[in-house]
Amino acid sequence: MCSLPRRIIKETQRLMQEPVPGISAVPDDNNARYFHVIVTGPEDSPFEGGLFKLELFLPEDYPMSAPKVRFITKIYHPNIDRLGRICLDILKDKWSPALQIRTVLLSIQALLSAPNPDDPLANDVAELWKVNEAEAIRNAKEWTRRYAMDN
Amino acid sequence: MSGQGESDMDYSDDEAGYGDYYAEADTYDLEQVDISKSDPEYFEFECLSVEEVERLLNESVEMLSNSLKILSIKDLNIYEKVCNNNKLLSGCTQITPALAKVLLHTHKWAIQEVTDKYRSDSQALLVESQIEPRPESSTSHRRQQRSLRSNSNVPLICAVCVEATNEGYFRLACGHSFCSLCWVMHFQVQISQGVSTGITCMAPGCEVLATEDFALKIITLPDLRKKYQQFTFQDYVKSHPQLRFCPGPNCQVIVRAKLPKAKKCFCQSCKTAFCFNCGIDYHAPTDCVTVKKWLTKCADDSETANYISAHTKDCPKCHICIEKNGGCNHMQCYSCKHDFCWMCLGDWKTHGSEYYECSRYKDNPNIANESAHAQAREALKKYLHYYERWENHSKSLKLEEQHFKKVSKKITGKVMNSGSGTWIDWQYLLDASNLLAKCRYTLQYTYPYAYYMEPSSRKELFEYQQASLEAEIENLSWKIERAESTDRGDLENQMDVAEKRRLTLLKDFLNV
Repeated sequence: MCSLPRRIIKETQRLMQEPVPGISAVPDDNNARYFHVIVTGPEDSPFEGGLFKLELFLPEDYPMSAPKVRFITKIYHPNIDRLGRICLDILKDKWSPALQIRTVLLSIQALLSAPNPDDPLANDVAELWKVNEAEAIRNAKEWTRRYAMDN
Repeated sequence: MSGQGESDMDYSDDEAGYGDYYAEADTYDLEQVDISKSDPEYFEFECLSVEEVERLLNESVEMLSNSLKILSIKDLNIYEKVCNNNKLLSGCTQITPALAKVLLHTHKWAIQEVTDKYRSDSQALLVESQIEPRPESSTSHRRQQRSLRSNSNVPLICAVCVEATNEGYFRLACGHSFCSLCWVMHFQVQISQGVSTGITCMAPGCEVLATEDFALKIITLPDLRKKYQQFTFQDYVKSHPQLRFCPGPNCQVIVRAKLPKAKKCFCQSCKTAFCFNCGIDYHAPTDCVTVKKWLTKCADDSETANYISAHTKDCPKCHICIEKNGGCNHMQCYSCKHDFCWMCLGDWKTHGSEYYECSRYKDNPNIANESAHAQAREALKKYLHYYERWENHSKSLKLEEQHFKKVSKKITGKVMNSGSGTWIDWQYLLDASNLLAKCRYTLQYTYPYAYYMEPSSRKELFEYQQASLEAEIENLSWKIERAESTDRGDLENQMDVAEKRRLTLLKDFLNV
């Protein structure tokens, strides 16, 4: 593997020195491009109190290409599917090389606070979120309790 | 040249001199004088090479930048008169050829539209075309950049690679500066994903497009430059309403039609014939949207259809198994000599008369009251009716092509070996085969048209004309397959009748 670009080293250092509140991102011991991420469920959201594990990988052409991010912890959310894949514009066509790991994780945290059922990835969840928001939120809370609070 | 098929080459533009001469000499021949009105399929187009198209696009770019330059100078004159200060001009963006190209690409090469928009509000045009940033975002950033610039002792830090260097920074009209290495990598990744004219600035949320001259200033690798130029060229051609790439495999030709329409054009280099509007096989009288719907449906349902319609049929009279080996649908059983129609298995005698209804699908009038299952079966039956006929004519076309090859070979043998007649004596046989192919092709494409037509008096008229066309085509095919025993005059008369039927149908139903 070729040497790590200065950009990745800088970002990693900053993530360690000034961590984002509610988010931890730690590089893997064997691969500096792979990050173990934990996002805490935002206050006043159905995910409050949960700890959500994610994985984040910086591809070879990062930062020209977006990082690959996926939820490992199961989550009931209209923009996140069964496999933990996330529907977020900045991870796709709105990616800009000037965005960072930090900004990506902040956006994911914001997505937990503000689900967008009009641009769904998990169709059944999004449908329920639209027709019966109360029940959808109950489900999300239940999933958070069941999958994101054990450890 | 004009789009009249290979046989009508003598009407082409480059021989206009002869055309005029004949038109003057023979004023009675109205068809030659105004073929565009008499032939519903008339279509003018030309085949261009990549270089010719590049020249054409560059001419448009030049024309636009010249006309915008004149506008700017006029503006400047007014400004000079008013405030006698030409420094004002430095504030507005000058339209370089590269910018003109972006403007044309985003406006589908409509020079007039761009000029009009520029005249009414040049700033709005530049923002809309993603040349200039949106007003609110730019000012703050420009100020930021300027403050960075003014402090020239501190090295700049590129926001992408976070390396500090004071050289090699580039920015677009939005003012977001990044180092050249990052720009190169950005272009590399974008181009590898097939993006070229759509490459934007690297700043988050910034939509300003990288112009061609900017990109070529950054990209120095020859391979990458070549790829970038290829991709932008493809984008330009695709955005140009008068241009279309020939869909033939590995063909470089670009067809140009000054009045683009959904009509037939063909590539002079690889001979592929296609619809200018949608680029797939020509499909008159059906329109582009309908034929696409039909082809998708056929692709989805083809297995069912294949299963249901077998390749062989039994003679309706003696029940001997018959495999069709010719294109003609007027069948004569080898064993009992019974004449029947391959499609409907009805007696051929009724096909010759006005009761010919083989092409028409008869709706079940009580279908609305039937069960859902019966309705589904009826829908499938209806689809199969049209699909079988569509597929059958397509097969007939292929069989007749084989027949054509056989005829050509036979003619060669007659002229060269047995010395019976000259080349010109036998040409009518080839003409007849070509005409048959042309007519059957149109007939094939009448079936999707009819399938999607709502029951109405217009549909009745369509199916009447379709039926008469089909009857004449089968007569023609019958006569061509038995050309040696058919009188030449009779055959030529039949050709004339079939083509007239085809033109009548197109005149009434080809609306492009």
